[in-house]
Amino acid sequence: MSNGRVIIKFGGESGQGINTLGKILSKSVKESGFFNFAYREYPSLIRGGVASYQIDIAKEEIGSSSRYCDILLILHKVAVHEYLPSVSQNGIVIHDKDELILTQEEKEYITKNNITLVSLDTIKMALEVKGIEIMANMVLLGFIWKLLNLDTKPLEEIVRKTFEYKDVDMEAEIRCIMAGYNSKQIKEEIVKPLTFKPQKQWKDSLSITGNEAIALGAISAGCRAFYAYPMTPATSILKFLGDTYKETGILVKQAENEITAAQLVMGSMNIGTRAMTATSGGGFDLMAETVSCAGISETPMVIVMAQRTGAGTGVPTWTGAGDISLAVHGGHGEFSRCVISISNPQDAYILIQKAFNISEIYQMPVILLTEKQIAESIFNTKNLPKAIKIERGISKGKNRYEITDNGISPRWIPSKDNPTYLQNSDEHKPSGESTENSKEIIEMSDKRLRKLETLKQELPEPEYFGSKNPDTVFIGYGSVGNTIRDILKENPNIGYLHYQYIYPLKYEKIIEIHEEGARVVLIENNQTGEFGKLIKQECGFEISEKILKYDGRPLFVEDILDFLNN
Amino acid sequence: MAIPISQYNTDVKNSWCMGCGNYAIHIAMKKALSELDIVPNQTFISFDIGCNGNGADKIKVNAFKGLHGRSIPLAIGSHLANRRMTVIATIGDGGCLHEGLNHLIHAIRSNYDITILIHNNQNFALTTGQATATTKEGKRMYALPDGRPEREINIGELVLGSKPSFFARGYSGDPLQLTEIIKEGIKHKGCSVIEILQVCTTYNKESTPQWFTERIEKLESPALDLNNARDAVSMDEKIKTGIIYKNDSIPTFYDRLQNRKDLSTELVDEVKQYDISKLLKKFK
Repeated sequence: MSNGRVIIKFGGESGQGINTLGKILSKSVKESGFFNFAYREYPSLIRGGVASYQIDIAKEEIGSSSRYCDILLILHKVAVHEYLPSVSQNGIVIHDKDELILTQEEKEYITKNNITLVSLDTIKMALEVKGIEIMANMVLLGFIWKLLNLDTKPLEEIVRKTFEYKDVDMEAEIRCIMAGYNSKQIKEEIVKPLTFKPQKQWKDSLSITGNEAIALGAISAGCRAFYAYPMTPATSILKFLGDTYKETGILVKQAENEITAAQLVMGSMNIGTRAMTATSGGGFDLMAETVSCAGISETPMVIVMAQRTGAGTGVPTWTGAGDISLAVHGGHGEFSRCVISISNPQDAYILIQKAFNISEIYQMPVILLTEKQIAESIFNTKNLPKAIKIERGISKGKNRYEITDNGISPRWIPSKDNPTYLQNSDEHKPSGESTENSKEIIEMSDKRLRKLETLKQELPEPEYFGSKNPDTVFIGYGSVGNTIRDILKENPNIGYLHYQYIYPLKYEKIIEIHEEGARVVLIENNQTGEFGKLIKQECGFEISEKILKYDGRPLFVEDILDFLNN
Repeated sequence: MAIPISQYNTDVKNSWCMGCGNYAIHIAMKKALSELDIVPNQTFISFDIGCNGNGADKIKVNAFKGLHGRSIPLAIGSHLANRRMTVIATIGDGGCLHEGLNHLIHAIRSNYDITILIHNNQNFALTTGQATATTKEGKRMYALPDGRPEREINIGELVLGSKPSFFARGYSGDPLQLTEIIKEGIKHKGCSVIEILQVCTTYNKESTPQWFTERIEKLESPALDLNNARDAVSMDEKIKTGIIYKNDSIPTFYDRLQNRKDLSTELVDEVKQYDISKLLKKFK
């Protein structure tokens, strides 16, 4: 058991139903009144390759995974070598009837860590109760459920709900669960009952991914059109908004490519509705020219960029945060933009609404960053916060691009009651007419850049968590913030400065912390410390100590603990 | 009573070459809007980059001069958000057939209710005369001293291959016919693609008004089916202008959206806070 958590991991081959198993277990644990965080690993292929689902059950709210698990369920031998090293001391490995073929090193690891191997012929068990082969997964679920010593009612309920509209023999599924639950192989020494009590607040909480929270926030904010091209890990936003389109009335369009998606957003927002798109780094590359066009033409635009690992195709189904520079700098020419980073469903729900407000008030592209780790992990979260007020910055004026002190020009919605205007990606005069005049170019460029300073003044300071007198303060954003916040309680000497607003950057707090004498450590899920580079660019301060992880895995709790212990 | 054409004018001076086909196309566009009684603030026109795009500040409508090759998706985004607007996308043969070809095919396939005007002057004129996909094979062009090595694209064949609901061909030397064609395009419920053969006096010395006059033949009525239409778009000997193909039975993209069927509002009318409490039940 690590950090008071009980951790269960399924490992197998992609296509074996691991995703469904993980979701059922996570939801059933929640339904039983226990908080859990569910993290998924899967390859970029439909059949074969190693896949896993890890469920960290905890007494209190968490938002990250441990590197280790207490119970590992091997659904396919391909997962043995990958995940055996992640089994913790006194852990249990459950595998099928075939004997595991282990290396000498693995055998030693098992002995050294007192790991128990349990061989379970789940297919036979399923067939014995008149189930079919694929229901072996249900036997496994029942078996784990007994190991946790939980009441089967919530599990049965979730299984029934999950398969409600599927063509399955529901009663056979339930019989298989019970076969696992009542297995004679459950022995006292392998049972891992939860040491904490169930709580109603967790039973009543939501079981939600970051992407779903972004979609919900967009719905709240009055986003009426969603245009996107499928790209992991952004695609589940398209799925949720598509699946709910009848309830919301939102126009959902899968565009022919990302360029189109971005242009559709710009066109729809210019004419006066709220629209957005979602993509990953590669798709954003294609959108970059349009972002630049929105910049100079001062057209509101909202783009969700869900990051994954690597350049090119990279490691497409794995997490990372290596697109900070792309979000801040992508697009030709110089123009104002805003970059926001989310960490969890709670702030995703609010920050996407902020993104719409900022993009309309300041008439600029807003990029909302997320990561695969946030996009696809299942968080248990108490009800989402109250929606924020919609602010559109609509005003009337003589000229669409009037030169103003704060840089914000009047913008009104084209309609039969309003004067027409030209939205222009050529450099233009206040009227919108194209210009190549030196003075006019400077005046308009300066006006546009003033918006960035105005916005910076309006943005909140980064939030500080942890010790009042810290030895060490971590600086980060996105999913790493979840991991750090999960260990603050047990580590009273550390602090964490968390950034939601990446650009324009409010850097003063970092300097303050540094001047007060704390050790400042940058923590990022990328190779070169992209946020650190941005900090240096903005204020000249270089954070020399860094935790950087770029193997496609999120920051595990132990990654930070190991750093602190060394 | 038609709206006076002067209502669509701005006081920005034209910048096209003497004899450029854009003058006539620009006037035909204004005249079509005026004769259809479509007021300037209920019109949206997206402009591409190219000589056509330099007309953006010369017409008083809701306009957006965007990026090269992208005027079609920009127009579609506007149309989907507010169908009360008459939406036109203007684009040149360069932007349409090179940078943004996919947009044309998908706009036709989706059948959005917009009008696309393809200005075909057979070259990239604003960047001083490079070859485009409509430049004749073997023709000597910018940086091609031995002539263009590739075959050309016939816009009509390309469009008809995508099974459009409306395809017409006009000519900048016949602004009256062009006005009528644009009017029909706007009236047609669906994606109306209009190829406009355009004189370019500076960079296309071969396709002169005389060259066009000798070849152009007005089509009396649209072809009955796609096969006949394919014969009509051939440019081997004569060049046929007019409405070449029309099919009113293809539903528009928007009309196929089940979730928008019973709504009388447009997306622009619907920006307000939405209660998500029902949706949250999915996550309990």
